[in-house]
Amino acid sequence: MLSVLSGSAVLLPGFGVYSMEHNVVASFVFTRNSGLGGGTLGYRFKATIGLELHVQLLAAQKLFSAASAKWNEPPNTNVNVADAGFPGALPQLNPECVQLAARAILALNGQIQQRSAFDRKHYFYADQPLGYQITQQHHPIGRGGYVDLGLLDGLEYVKRIGIHQLQLEQDTAKSIHGVYPGHVLVDLNRAGVALIEIVSKPDVETADEAVFYVRKMQSLLRHIGVSSCNMEEGSLRCDVNVSVYRDGEDRLSGTRCELKNLNSLKVIRGAVNAEISRQIDVVRRGDNIEQETRGYDAQSNTTFVTRTKEAVPDYRYMPEPDVPEIHINDSWIARLRKMLPETPEVVMARMMPQYGLTQEDIETMLGEPGCTAFFEQAVVGRDPKRVLSWITSEVFGQLAYRSQRLADSSITVPQFTQIIDALSSDAITSAQAKQLLIAFMDGEQRTVDELIAAHRWEVISDDGKLRVISKQLLDAHPKEVARYLKGQTRRLNFFVGKLMQATNGQAKPQNASEIMKELLEARR
Amino acid sequence: MQLLLTRIKANRLRTACRYSTQLLKDTYEAINAHNPRLNALPHIHPPSSIQEANGPLSGWSFAAKSNIAAPPLPTTCGSHTLASYTSPFVATAVSMLEQAGARMIGTSNMDEFGMGSLSQTSVHGPAHNLHPEHSSALHSPGGSSGGSAAAVAARMCRVALGSDTGGSVRLPASWCGVCGFKPSYGRVSRYGLASYASSLDSVGILARSTRDIRDTFNIVSAPDRRDMTCMSKSLRTRIHALSASREWISRDTECASEPLRGVRIGVPSEFWVTELSPSAVDAWKQGAAKLSSLGCDIIPVSLPHIPHTLPAYYTLALAEASSNLARFDGIRFGTRHMPTLSTRANASLKYAQTRSMGFGDEVKRRILLGTFVMSARAHEHYYLPSQRIRRLVQREFNRIFALPNVLCTTNTKADARNVDKVDAILFPTATDTAPVQGTSDNPVTAYVNDVMTVSANMAGIPAISVPFGLHNGMPLGLQIAAQYGDDDIVLRIAHYLEPQAA
Repeated sequence: MLSVLSGSAVLLPGFGVYSMEHNVVASFVFTRNSGLGGGTLGYRFKATIGLELHVQLLAAQKLFSAASAKWNEPPNTNVNVADAGFPGALPQLNPECVQLAARAILALNGQIQQRSAFDRKHYFYADQPLGYQITQQHHPIGRGGYVDLGLLDGLEYVKRIGIHQLQLEQDTAKSIHGVYPGHVLVDLNRAGVALIEIVSKPDVETADEAVFYVRKMQSLLRHIGVSSCNMEEGSLRCDVNVSVYRDGEDRLSGTRCELKNLNSLKVIRGAVNAEISRQIDVVRRGDNIEQETRGYDAQSNTTFVTRTKEAVPDYRYMPEPDVPEIHINDSWIARLRKMLPETPEVVMARMMPQYGLTQEDIETMLGEPGCTAFFEQAVVGRDPKRVLSWITSEVFGQLAYRSQRLADSSITVPQFTQIIDALSSDAITSAQAKQLLIAFMDGEQRTVDELIAAHRWEVISDDGKLRVISKQLLDAHPKEVARYLKGQTRRLNFFVGKLMQATNGQAKPQNASEIMKELLEARR
Repeated sequence: MQLLLTRIKANRLRTACRYSTQLLKDTYEAINAHNPRLNALPHIHPPSSIQEANGPLSGWSFAAKSNIAAPPLPTTCGSHTLASYTSPFVATAVSMLEQAGARMIGTSNMDEFGMGSLSQTSVHGPAHNLHPEHSSALHSPGGSSGGSAAAVAARMCRVALGSDTGGSVRLPASWCGVCGFKPSYGRVSRYGLASYASSLDSVGILARSTRDIRDTFNIVSAPDRRDMTCMSKSLRTRIHALSASREWISRDTECASEPLRGVRIGVPSEFWVTELSPSAVDAWKQGAAKLSSLGCDIIPVSLPHIPHTLPAYYTLALAEASSNLARFDGIRFGTRHMPTLSTRANASLKYAQTRSMGFGDEVKRRILLGTFVMSARAHEHYYLPSQRIRRLVQREFNRIFALPNVLCTTNTKADARNVDKVDAILFPTATDTAPVQGTSDNPVTAYVNDVMTVSANMAGIPAISVPFGLHNGMPLGLQIAAQYGDDDIVLRIAHYLEPQAA
């Protein structure tokens, strides 16, 4: 199983054979256009799809300047003279970005180029302060590589999507239209933030494959700490090239259109499907597809022209004279390779049987960089299910509440395991455990034992004591008792709640419930 | 803590004795006497703001070309578009000189964005030449660092920083009768120099003596991580080891009558162009004779691609200029002109007005040409062949110089075996002496002037112009150039070539 998922095999034993037949999109087109009697035309159409992903790197500073690359800061606060293109300011390559790009290349099984270089891509726009973007057109840092899609990714067959190249480049500033009529507002915080552009080979054939490819890329890049790949925040942006051809013809024979600004997985699926059927309609009408850039309107589920071929600017590429070539040697690559964590597939294949977890469990953890390592350190000698549920519900809940990443959180594995152990040995209740978790994530330095002592927490495990309090509660609420006895058994929760309240949460809920039920039943 | 230190420093400066030396007095007297006529320094620090400081260049005054960031004075680049722009940061070369104790006097006039050879397209008005003395005719000081050269010649400052993209330091030095040095590409940090053509631009030094140039160069020639094209420390060390391995060149102290014994000087025949005036030819011959008398071997050499460098240079320089000047859109800094109604609708045209109004004719001409040569259709026919010519010229220089190019060799020693190879080359800096300002308005004639100087920028090699006599009262200079990184030999030969050493 392991070798199939991560290696080069095309056969997945027991699951079927890799086949192009899965990718015929014509049937879907015919159902959509059933009234047209597609059968009489007799053509089956297939699509050829390539994706360009723009991925913001998780580097603290920008690609060519020391300004912070943080997202969502007050406008124009993370800008230095190089980002704003002041005369005499020069770009200074940030090695962290090169390292992150190289990590991505290794994780995608690509080749880090010994020599790579930057180019200037020119166009005038308010969000382009220099008048050009520094990118890698001719000598990208990475070439080749692939992503394998299979059952675990949602596909019913196995498919390898090749990577054409991976290049480092600058992000643009953000221009904001419509706030002041007739004015464009420009926020330079994003100007110069490091991106990698990952260009796939035109190996993708359906919208599903495109979506699974993006999803897999997201989980992979998050897992290795290269990017947060958040489409809503724009740290992952996706352009898709689509063309169609008649089955049996050259699969690159169609004229391609580029779909730009697809900002969610749902939109990618919708846009690709809409564009495939539009192109098939055009071809079947006997018209020609025009090479153009198109957008997608989810409401009407159609694509529309945003830029014709004639309007494409001449980018006047030129070697970037201010930044020397990047030279990378084998020993640097070897060192980097050693630091690379296992790929998500390997983690999945190993952890599922080892800890008895489901694919979903592990996928959830893979979405948070550093989380599987945290889990594996915490789980030693403990119940995997319990550790998992505490990480994915409680810790993740706190992280989301604080919009924080696990790697940036102050909670340590020993602190986390102290909580779990105290809980397992009934030293604290789960409410108290949550309180401790919050304290540790706030930076609490004391140990769990110290905190229990400081809070004078002590679980009431003395059943006799609980019975006394319970009896008092039943006597105080005869009406509720009567309702319970009439069959409203959910009244039990009312009493358990009261009991927890009366004991300041120091009763074990399980015990409380059992005792209460027993006493209530005794009154029948 | 940093704040506290700064405050202590500031206090120490305030209590330090005022810069009341004779030198300062001479400097401001020269400015008052000559600047109204020469228009060399458009922005000048008031004498009261100059505080003395300690350091190897203590007591020195300097000017910086208007395209080198030196706040609080504006960095105008001689352009209307930056007429009121003051840089928020200081250029590395300027701060190094200040730290060494030198004091900045003012910024110097120039052709707009360094694009010219006459210093006549500045927003501050044209600069003029001190020479000929006692004459009413105003000659050009050369360009584009004409203000720097004129200021040094008129003793308004001891040294001046310029920028040299295709001869902009050496040509004005030649026409104003001072020394002008363009170091190897990457010797001096370009941080703070407004880029014209990044791969050709060098910060250069102008002074009245090669000794002053050397002392200034020793300060500003240093690694700077803010400029990735500035030579690293390890590269500097390798170059030094390589040039020090040349045992055939005698040391200064060895032979007083022939201090340059063993030095091989090449005379490249390709610089014998039709435009070369008789006075320039005359100076060239006398210069060769003088070097020969100092012990040099004079060897004819050939650089067959030199005739092609001028068109290739103009292609590459203008391509890079069109790119580097794209940032002047009036949005974040600089002069802004409101868009006209017809251009307002299109986002990319919103600042077309700013660029149309802000740049002068010559700058617009060069941006348009540069944009054209990089366009999809012309790229293959202009830009790429020019890059190839540049490579060929670099190879040709590598072929004639005895010192290997450190970027192309793993050798640690210079090659002494081949006697056909030379240590430096000698040729005129300009085809003729300075013309009267304002008499030349054909841009192509002006471009031809650069034929003598652009090859050093194309190859990235060091070159210096040294004054060599007057012709009809007008100065003319000779040029020494050497292998990439061999700045020391250039300065050493120039020292013996300059008048006071004779």
